[in-house]
Amino acid sequence: MLRLAWSSFTERWPLFIGAILTVTLGVALVQSSLLLLLAAAAQQAPSGADDVTALQLAERSLVAVTVLAVTLAFAAFLAVFIISSTFAFTVAQRRRDLALLRLIGGSHQQVRRLLVSEAFLLGATGTLIGIPAGVGLMHLQAALMARLGFVPESFTGHWHWWILGVSIGVGLGLAVTGVLLAARRAARVAPLEALRETGAATRVMTRGRWIAGTVLVLGSVLLIGLAGVGGPAGGQAMAMLVSVSAAVGFTALSPLLVPFAARLIPARPGAVLAHLAKANLRDSVRRSASTAAPLIVLVGLVLGQSTSLLSFSAAAQEELRNSTSADLVLTSAGPRGLETVDGTDGIAHLSIETSLPISVTTGTGEMAFTEIGRALIIEPERYSRAHPGSTTIGQLPAEAAIAGPGALGTPVGSTVGIRIGDIDLGERTIVDQVPPTIAGGAAVLLDADSVAADLQDSGQTTTFITLEEDAKPSEVVDRLQGFGTVLTFEEWLTSSAAAGTTTSASILLVVMGLGGAYALLAVVNAVVIAAGERRREFAAARATGLTRGQVITMALIESSTVTAIGIGLGVLAAVGTLLAVVTTTTATLGTASISVPWLLTAMLIIGAFLVTALTSAATTITGTRQSPIRLLQSRE
Amino acid sequence: MGPSGSGKSTLLHTAAGLERPDAGRVALGDTDLSAASEDQLTALRRSRIGFVFQSFNLIASLTAEENVSLPLRLAGRAPSAAEVQQVLASVGLEGRGRHKPRELSGGQQQRVAIARAMITHPEVLFADEPTGALDSTAARSVLELMRSMADQGQTIIMVTHDPSAAARADSTLFLRDGQIVDHLTGADTAAVAARLVSLEA
Repeated sequence: MLRLAWSSFTERWPLFIGAILTVTLGVALVQSSLLLLLAAAAQQAPSGADDVTALQLAERSLVAVTVLAVTLAFAAFLAVFIISSTFAFTVAQRRRDLALLRLIGGSHQQVRRLLVSEAFLLGATGTLIGIPAGVGLMHLQAALMARLGFVPESFTGHWHWWILGVSIGVGLGLAVTGVLLAARRAARVAPLEALRETGAATRVMTRGRWIAGTVLVLGSVLLIGLAGVGGPAGGQAMAMLVSVSAAVGFTALSPLLVPFAARLIPARPGAVLAHLAKANLRDSVRRSASTAAPLIVLVGLVLGQSTSLLSFSAAAQEELRNSTSADLVLTSAGPRGLETVDGTDGIAHLSIETSLPISVTTGTGEMAFTEIGRALIIEPERYSRAHPGSTTIGQLPAEAAIAGPGALGTPVGSTVGIRIGDIDLGERTIVDQVPPTIAGGAAVLLDADSVAADLQDSGQTTTFITLEEDAKPSEVVDRLQGFGTVLTFEEWLTSSAAAGTTTSASILLVVMGLGGAYALLAVVNAVVIAAGERRREFAAARATGLTRGQVITMALIESSTVTAIGIGLGVLAAVGTLLAVVTTTTATLGTASISVPWLLTAMLIIGAFLVTALTSAATTITGTRQSPIRLLQSRE
Repeated sequence: MGPSGSGKSTLLHTAAGLERPDAGRVALGDTDLSAASEDQLTALRRSRIGFVFQSFNLIASLTAEENVSLPLRLAGRAPSAAEVQQVLASVGLEGRGRHKPRELSGGQQQRVAIARAMITHPEVLFADEPTGALDSTAARSVLELMRSMADQGQTIIMVTHDPSAAARADSTLFLRDGQIVDHLTGADTAAVAARLVSLEA
């Protein structure tokens, strides 16, 4: 079987080269993300760094770890999805070959073994290229992460020999398992199918597709509804999940949705080529569904994730505006000396808030759980005046704390241990909580009196200042210049919004950039595989009276229509996320806050059309180079 | 033989166990094909049944030799090089064993297909329009080959609508609208053609 597998591999390399590429990129992406994730998690503060610096570094590496973990998850998801669907497609395209094998005495098991052997060869080749490619990619990814400020410049991943096991598992494992399911179905092919000239219309919509598609689409609808009651953090997670689950659901249902959508697209009466293209789309359900699938996932994921990220970052600013009462904002390193400003000319009120990285331990003994977070050092009474509706505690005892807006799992009455490196801030009882916010934020609020002054000076301080009605803002600003940077509240909001958006955009770039390129490759691949099998069909069309140019135009119309449908369904998946964003922000803010990345959307759509059009034109031009009559004559 | 749509191919497919009859029984020797399981049919195709079709249905990626030896390999028995050579020689393709199908003419490809069917020494060789895609010279030599095989005792069931092909057979059945309507033995081309014309009238 391996011999036969090898010969069909050498014979049909254009069909298989795409399959190898998908494995190569999948292996490279997963391997690189995993190695970098480990390196990021193992990052250590330089010796001699003080406790606060060490914790800040740990905090920063936590962000890098999170970004890399999401990248890894995204890469793994794409690898599973793209590799398995590509391999299933290559199997589907070879039905006639397989039937032929059955006709001359091949058993079910032998057909299955042949396909699995092929998958093994392809997977092995892809893995072999993917491992060194992964090493190169790792440097690229590390440089990108460093450039966007997630990791220090010196950051690099380290090679571990055991990663070979992971990469082989990903490449070889996914290729073989991807083909197993398709092979089971393909092995059941009736020998007679080899004799049918055109190839029988096979049932593409399997029961598995029905179940998976329906469950995922219904799940997305459910998530949209639940996002409103999941709280800010839960709502955000659910909103992000909606487009993933909807996109995969649509992909499963694509043999049903794509022909249906093709029917809806109007074609001018008398436009022969358009009608022919539409008929082809409806007829070759598997081909059109397989081409649309990676597009649905690409568009759904990229637009869904970026829309929710941007919307929530906009919502966070809105929330901040609503929940803060101040005229000026002073940012400084530590609160030193700010007390003296209070009550001076023109200042009606101020709230000094210092943020410090901490490690929070919840639970005791076996159940103890420590994570890195932030403590906000406040004066409760002043804090509640600057943030109306946040807390009612006037005086906070030294051994108490308030659960902050970013608190998770610390209800009122529970006890938490708070440390900064070796400095113990003691066991504290949670006596109150401020409402959770979309932006998250500090895990605990501590009273300024309960934290040593020199420790506070190593934090970042934001002071919210309310002016007296007759005060001249410029005079107050001048007086405060020496302490740090003074901005009006609006200026401060704008600058922090810009910072938030930059972070979101950086995360998107890291997570989606390489993944998006990978998904685009799958699109190209599907177009190439689809066109490779159509030489005879094109020849027949030309024999019927179409010119070569008309055949190319027809194929272009077809691929553009599939692209439009794929993008449409992807956008629909992203709209699901948008709806979930609306329910989440309405529940927390009272009003819907959405922000759509129009430029990215336009670039993605234009890019997808360009890529499919170019690929389709190139493959059709190659596929029609031979004279049609020669193609029609030679069967083999 | 019979006009288009008379059920020739369906009859052949049913007789060969590729399609199951709605009613009735198909027997190959003492084996009931209509009751055989898919695995049993697979085993039959490896040992007792051979196929030749109008489109040659060779595997494009394999050489002639490899195509010919494939049925035995699938049956788990690798034929010796000499065995393959001998079968190829018997269809007049000495020295062509290393060519791929696309490097061979239509007539040569059909000979490879016949060699592939014959290597298992089938009890019956089923042929569906074996000369349909060939020019008259190639068709004649393929028919001569099949005639000589029959003379050596090979049972061949062939579907055709070429009277000159039918004339090579020992016995010809005529079909129309799914029914056997006539039977000729040892007829020449003219007699077969005349009968066919009367059927199509």
